[in-house]
Amino acid sequence: MKKSNIWTLLAALVLASLLLAACGPSGGGENVTSSGFVCPEPENKVALTAQELNLFVWTEYIPPDMQECFELVYGITVNRDEYSSNEEMYAKLSSGSTTYDLVQPTDYIVQPMIRLGLLQKLDKARLPALENFDPNYLDLAFDPGNEYTLPYEAGTDAIVVNTDAVENVPAKWDDLWKDEYAGRMVFLDDSRAVIGVTLQSLGLDPNTQNPDDLAAAKEKLSTLIPNIKLFDSDSPKSALIAGDVDLGMTWTGEAFLAQQEVASIQYVYPEEGAVLWQDNWAIPAGAPHLDAVYAWLNYTNQGNIFWMMLRDFPYTNPNQAALEYAKGNDMKANDVNGNPTTLGAIYDAYFNSPVTNTPADAIAKGFRIEDVGDALPLYDQIWTELKGGQ
Amino acid sequence: MLKRLRENKSAQGALLVSPTMMFMVGLLIIPLVLTLVISFGRRDPDGQVIYDFTLDNYRRLTGFTTDCASGAAFCFNDLYLQILWRSLSLAFRSTLVVILLAYPLAYYIARAQPRRRNTLLFLVLIPLWTNFVIRIYAWIMILRTQGVLNGLVGAILTPVLPLLSGALNPLLASMHLPLVATTFTPLEILYTPTAVLIGMVYEFLPFMILPIFTSLEKIDSSLYEAAADLGANAFRTFLRVTLPLSMPGVVAGTILVFIPVMGTFVVSDILGGKQYILIGNLIQRQFLDARDPTFGSAASLILMVLTLVVTFFYTRRFGFGEEIVPA
Amino acid sequence: MNPYRRSWFVRIATVLVFIFLYAPILVLMLYSLNASRANVLFAGVITRFGPVQTEGALIVQSPCGPFHWFCELAKNREVGNAAKNTLIIAVTATVISTVIGTMAALALQRYEFRFKPFAQLSLYIPIIIPEIVMGIGILVLFSQLFTFLNGAFHLRGDSQLSLGLFTVILSHIAFCIPFVTLVVMARLQGFDKSYEEAAMDLGANELTTFRRITLPIIMPGVLSGALLAFTLSLDDFVITFFTNGPGSTTLPIYVYGLLRRIITPQVNALSTVWILVVLTAVFMIQRLQNRNV
Repeated sequence: MKKSNIWTLLAALVLASLLLAACGPSGGGENVTSSGFVCPEPENKVALTAQELNLFVWTEYIPPDMQECFELVYGITVNRDEYSSNEEMYAKLSSGSTTYDLVQPTDYIVQPMIRLGLLQKLDKARLPALENFDPNYLDLAFDPGNEYTLPYEAGTDAIVVNTDAVENVPAKWDDLWKDEYAGRMVFLDDSRAVIGVTLQSLGLDPNTQNPDDLAAAKEKLSTLIPNIKLFDSDSPKSALIAGDVDLGMTWTGEAFLAQQEVASIQYVYPEEGAVLWQDNWAIPAGAPHLDAVYAWLNYTNQGNIFWMMLRDFPYTNPNQAALEYAKGNDMKANDVNGNPTTLGAIYDAYFNSPVTNTPADAIAKGFRIEDVGDALPLYDQIWTELKGGQ
Repeated sequence: MLKRLRENKSAQGALLVSPTMMFMVGLLIIPLVLTLVISFGRRDPDGQVIYDFTLDNYRRLTGFTTDCASGAAFCFNDLYLQILWRSLSLAFRSTLVVILLAYPLAYYIARAQPRRRNTLLFLVLIPLWTNFVIRIYAWIMILRTQGVLNGLVGAILTPVLPLLSGALNPLLASMHLPLVATTFTPLEILYTPTAVLIGMVYEFLPFMILPIFTSLEKIDSSLYEAAADLGANAFRTFLRVTLPLSMPGVVAGTILVFIPVMGTFVVSDILGGKQYILIGNLIQRQFLDARDPTFGSAASLILMVLTLVVTFFYTRRFGFGEEIVPA
Repeated sequence: MNPYRRSWFVRIATVLVFIFLYAPILVLMLYSLNASRANVLFAGVITRFGPVQTEGALIVQSPCGPFHWFCELAKNREVGNAAKNTLIIAVTATVISTVIGTMAALALQRYEFRFKPFAQLSLYIPIIIPEIVMGIGILVLFSQLFTFLNGAFHLRGDSQLSLGLFTVILSHIAFCIPFVTLVVMARLQGFDKSYEEAAMDLGANELTTFRRITLPIIMPGVLSGALLAFTLSLDDFVITFFTNGPGSTTLPIYVYGLLRRIITPQVNALSTVWILVVLTAVFMIQRLQNRNV
């Protein structure tokens, strides 16, 4: 063969193998996922007419085993489109006709979506899974009586500190204004959360629509912003782990993961109160596959399925059935790195961490971000002015 | 009928361009008109548009408001003009740096052996075919405090600096000149405006290389011989022959770089730590976080008008470059 | 004077600029071998082969050794689906926009007709319009259209018109056409019509003349335009995000979402594979071209 022919053949082989590598090995036998997990049967199995389920969810927020089990057990395809912010999801849903069956709004955006008619009411008769939840996460102000939403995961925004690099560990939001922290902080790029925290530190209502209060917050925030090295609502832990910053404001999951990398990183619930948030399942108004929707909600919220969240995502778990199932359970499973462990051990790791298992007093002192309607552009204007003056 | 079509040149032209016009009108002009209409509207508490006719959004952009904190009747907030100016300034500086970096490379490729030219061009294009955002993230890994750049510079300077400072500092001190640092402190580039500039230059560099290459390649080599015959040295030839003839490429490249830099928000978000607010960031925020499509639409239209104006004056001065991609 | 002469200044500058162009690419590829799952700093390469073992966030042993993340990538079915969609969209949009764009270039360069200035002006819109404006604008347009059509034809459930691969392809065609048109127009400038006239004198009709004379001459321009369209479509995020539907996720959307949440080395592995595939494809095209010359 000519030399150029050999090269061409080699190149074709490389190309082919690389493309084939993109298609991985498929799952094992009947109702066993590709990672070896044996899928439990649904407690309330229904026959479905739908052939598929369209999810529109947060990036990397559903355990692969959870989705695979549902597909295996019910034999339908789950299509998963993802978004990285509530605003993206809201913009897409409010602009037009989409055919998603389920979305995952965070608490503050639920009311605007309801007002716009974007969500449909839950048919509680079809939701036996409702009993699985801890009542502390139900019937909250943003959806009284859970007419439209089911809890998914919850968490907090609080102070994160690398105790090796910082001498005086801050105890409240107000401490972050100190000069010693200048140029060493990462903050969330979230106008509502940061302005809310500032208002809280001034003793004002963090969801105020009062322009005077907001002016005061702006005044105070203007002394903090120049001290912030970067804003990041995507992956603030990176800057912490890399040592670009030493402390700042972040949320539950990020703090937990950062802690795993750098043990000296601690999560501090501020005295004035941390931000409480909750992500929820909601059904868009035009969902085409309702029977699959209810099947999904009931199946994935079973204790013997939802415990996966304890392992895969370090957030606060509102599903009591899952917690009870995992506690003291000797059943073998792989931990998030693939090392063998037991469900009980996974539960213990979750329970013993004050990051994921938010202490009761922190919850009592905490506040939620609520919708502020007309005042939202004012918050955004303040935010832009403070950041834009660089 | 076919015979009449053959003879009617105007109809032929219209027919050929009709599929394009369907797409342009349907998917571009209609949204544009919609944007215009929305920019004159008002925002309801949920961020939806109330169709009205008000110039409030545009007035807000100019910075003049009647509702002032100080209680005066009329005051001026230069926030948005600052953002506009910052965007323009960044676009101009990025374009300038891109031209300075692109020209030597384009020159090298234009004067390469014909067989190697294609390979070199592909080498320039290949980074473009990796994902835009991933390339920016790679720069984070390079520019951060413990990143690749500081690692390399640190590795070199850490042994060198103590010796250098020990040798030079006494002399410098006596002459009251700034001293050489005794130890290496990492460069803080990431999350500063410099990082944003580097990111913009990096992303759009290939778009300048290709047009400049195209126009350089077209230059007839006999022109160089003629210049040499007339006694011009290399530098003079470059100044009087090469540079003027390559201008169409520079112009085309400038348009391809300047316009996107004005509208990009990803680079300033990621490399600037979300502190460097450009007009692209402002617009994006309005549609998403602020849920104010009316203001966002107004800002978008101003951006488009500004871009058109700058492009218009630029092409008037330098002529319209046809070499967008080697053809 | 040697036409291939380049001064030492140009040579050094070229090397430096190439280093600048490829530094991030090399860093990306290096980090795909990163033993640290957090992928923030480079923590060395996994050296031991065997079942997965971790020490904190460091992976010290893996069945695939240093190529652990590539194996993880292979198990990832979302990526395969996204890659498939991306290619389908890019190829379809490129082919259609190249054909339509070339037709438009011919029309604008050679004919006079009413609305010609309007047509020329409209070509510049996709170049200056911010992507988010175009994305949301098209989304609103499709939504209104689908709502109307679904109502008029009483379409329900899965048979109703909705966002998906189709809407994404249409939007991509829309922003690709102007680039193709401008490139082909550039090539058409200075086109010597006498070739075509000669062919027609010899009895060829318009179609044959086009096929055998015009097209071959403008082909480099058409191919450049197609290449540009393909590049633009492959990497598009904003417009695709707003116009896509269930099951039509593309690689840029998947990667962008992933990067914003979890920057594991798996993303680097994906980029490395992407780059290698592109390099291989380019290499093969080069070989084919050289054989034809």
